[in-house]
Amino acid sequence: MTVHAHRAEIRLAGSGGQGLITGMHILFRALAIEGRRAAQSQSYEPTSRGGFCYSDLIVSDDSGDYPLATGLGMVAALSQIGLDRSLALIKPGALLIVDERLVPEPPRSGFDLHVLPMAARAVEVGSPRIANVVALGALAHLGRLVPREVLEQAVRLETPPKFAELNLAAVREGWGLVGANVQV
Amino acid sequence: MTTPSLASLHGNRACAAGAIAAGCRFFAGYPITPSSEIAEQMSRELPRAEGVFIQMEDEISSLAAVIGASLGGVKAMTATSGPGFSLMQENLGYAAMTEVPCVIVNVMRGGPSTGMPTRPSQSDIMQARWGTHGDHPVIVVAPASVQEIYDETIRAFNLAEEFRTPVIVLYDEVIAHLLESVVLPQRDTVPTMTRKWASGEETTFLPYAATEDGVPIMARPGDGHRVHVTGLTHTPDGFPTQRPDLAAKATQRLLDKIEFNRDRIERNETFDIEDADVVIVAIGIVARAARRAVQELRSAGLRAGLFRPVTLWPFPEDALREAAAKATCVLVPEMNAGQLALEVERVVGPGKVARLNRIDGEPIAPADIVRRVREIAA
Amino acid sequence: MNDLLEAPFDVKDYLRLEMMPHFMCPGCGHGIALRCLLWAVHELGIDKNKLAIVCGIGCSGRVGAYIDANTFHTTHGRPLAFATGLKLARPDLTVVVITGDGDCLAIGGNHLIHACRRNLDLTCLMLNNEVYAMTGGQVSPTTAIDRLTTTTPHGNAEPTFDACRLADAAGASFVGREVTRQAPALKNVIKAGLAHEGFSFIEVMSDCTEIYGRKNDLGESPEMIMSQKSDMRPEAFGNVADQPFRANRLRAGIIAQRDRPEYGSVYRQRAAAEQAKAKAKS
Repeated sequence: MTVHAHRAEIRLAGSGGQGLITGMHILFRALAIEGRRAAQSQSYEPTSRGGFCYSDLIVSDDSGDYPLATGLGMVAALSQIGLDRSLALIKPGALLIVDERLVPEPPRSGFDLHVLPMAARAVEVGSPRIANVVALGALAHLGRLVPREVLEQAVRLETPPKFAELNLAAVREGWGLVGANVQV
Repeated sequence: MTTPSLASLHGNRACAAGAIAAGCRFFAGYPITPSSEIAEQMSRELPRAEGVFIQMEDEISSLAAVIGASLGGVKAMTATSGPGFSLMQENLGYAAMTEVPCVIVNVMRGGPSTGMPTRPSQSDIMQARWGTHGDHPVIVVAPASVQEIYDETIRAFNLAEEFRTPVIVLYDEVIAHLLESVVLPQRDTVPTMTRKWASGEETTFLPYAATEDGVPIMARPGDGHRVHVTGLTHTPDGFPTQRPDLAAKATQRLLDKIEFNRDRIERNETFDIEDADVVIVAIGIVARAARRAVQELRSAGLRAGLFRPVTLWPFPEDALREAAAKATCVLVPEMNAGQLALEVERVVGPGKVARLNRIDGEPIAPADIVRRVREIAA
Repeated sequence: MNDLLEAPFDVKDYLRLEMMPHFMCPGCGHGIALRCLLWAVHELGIDKNKLAIVCGIGCSGRVGAYIDANTFHTTHGRPLAFATGLKLARPDLTVVVITGDGDCLAIGGNHLIHACRRNLDLTCLMLNNEVYAMTGGQVSPTTAIDRLTTTTPHGNAEPTFDACRLADAAGASFVGREVTRQAPALKNVIKAGLAHEGFSFIEVMSDCTEIYGRKNDLGESPEMIMSQKSDMRPEAFGNVADQPFRANRLRAGIIAQRDRPEYGSVYRQRAAAEQAKAKAKS
């Protein structure tokens, strides 16, 4: 019985109102299309605007596995407080993607750090409200979580039709940020 | 679509979906964190399923309305959390006494009193069993995953109908707000059960006469059996009595109908238990943490195992006794100051039982359990 | 059609005779209220198989057990809440709540105002005997000022509720009051309340001779019943909110009746629209 199932712990961290839960749910949907099981949890506090907020996805083939984070392997942070409050749970060497402007003080060492202009690109694409989806694109690409087409399919399924094009542009922008603008 | 589908579902929404699949067509409730999503979902879904949702003026009237609907012949449910569950206790006893099938969901949050509304807890384990006054039967199921919330809510309705008793679905805030992959069966493949309805001679019908399994046959208003239902101690004809011999018989039958049918009610799950030196007994999110802890401990060469009561009350005592027979220690991690441990001590003896408690509103993590087992082993 | 309905009213046709003798004290007004309810049921031709009586706790709560219908003796103060669930689940039933002044106005006061507001098709008979009689005679929300009870040994100092004004203000679409002294009039008010579609609140001025009358020197049953009558003046319903109502001239008969949407039918209409929408989608 005692077999360690393949397990990945992923977090979108930031502040309330950034759409972290929606963003993570798109990834959940994409993984489900790929036939993967997962558990999503989030901060459940009266902090819907501002304040620390996160959404975690634990991907595991073992359906009875512990569904909460024990050591995060991949984190995308869209605010300094989001990063700071998550640090204790992030494994050494974890993939860490932070926003260039919203996280002015990323950790100097110990992580696979990528500083990306996610919020700025969101504005360029059409709205500051879609930084979550830009981050998702970057995270999925850098973490090799799902193929781009599957992620785009999930975006179509999980976002309202009138925002589908905007969100698709955002996820492609995030995907494309990797490689071109990576600073280590 | 003919095959079960893999979906992602939120814990509280799985509860509502399970209820509707089980045939629930009436919900009365009052908003309370962290259970409100159940009421919200029922308010959307029930009218579409030709059922009725009502938000009552408090939790007392919510359970009263649920019992009223069930007396009318409709499967009914309410959902709440600690403070609301406290308010429901009197009518919960009424449902037990009058043998009205109903389902009460309690999503546990930090207490006592208003406590920590958004933080998880497991501190209603004893209240679920003993919350209402008097000797009474009750069944409590304790799901540990979103899938199990769905499955156990269905089972809760079936048990309520089969044994004509309130059934409590008890789970913590963590499971309530998880979004997990689940396999939902087709609606028409869900096994559902309905109480035995009275037919035949009106004049000879006794609404509280014991049948073979101890569970009386119910009369549906309008079908011709004009019966009396009372929370007073009553004889098989339904009318009050204070005759000692009849009163004792009436209360004893209530208790026996659960006790004698344990094999149809109890359910538990074990994991790596066969050769375990340390048996961990846990429910809900803590059982999930314990399962992971068992895996980690086994990798490190420590023989740990998990015993998880799925039916919490009646407590699966024979199964635990057997599972723990060879263990040197039984560890009970729980998110309260020690409630499940009391029952485990009763079953396996206090000398063998170690505790791990958290009352800070944080879930017990796998690392907490690993650390405690290492302490015990050392 | 039931043969019963063709026959002249005989209360025995609606009683569980095996339950006799009843537990009510000599002179208690509750028996008259019971008879008037059954009389109204008979005149309206309500099938007793389809009649549900939901009671609370107290002397009023025990009345239901004598009725040959579907009878539910529930918890203290909650019969309106039980009845709400029953009626919503089973709109085909005629649901009557029998409650008392303590059951309805004290422990169950919140349920009363919300039942009035909601306007579900229930008929609520509040048997007002001004006292908690079952528990031995404690003060209730309708005990008149200065009265002696076992918990007001020096005289009651609390003002009372006027239950009808309360129900009216909370939105009950039918409000009535009658005394047990005038049985035909009481029957007629109950009949009108049963026939009304929506929430009907009826206060029955009953009397408790044994526990309350004796303690307050109000005489035997005939004297108490006669004083009920002298207290009732249909014309007077003035600005009396802070006055103990027995000193007032209370209105009797149908006090308020208004057309308001009945909650159950409104809910079912909306549900049907939802079902149609869902069907159109699929």
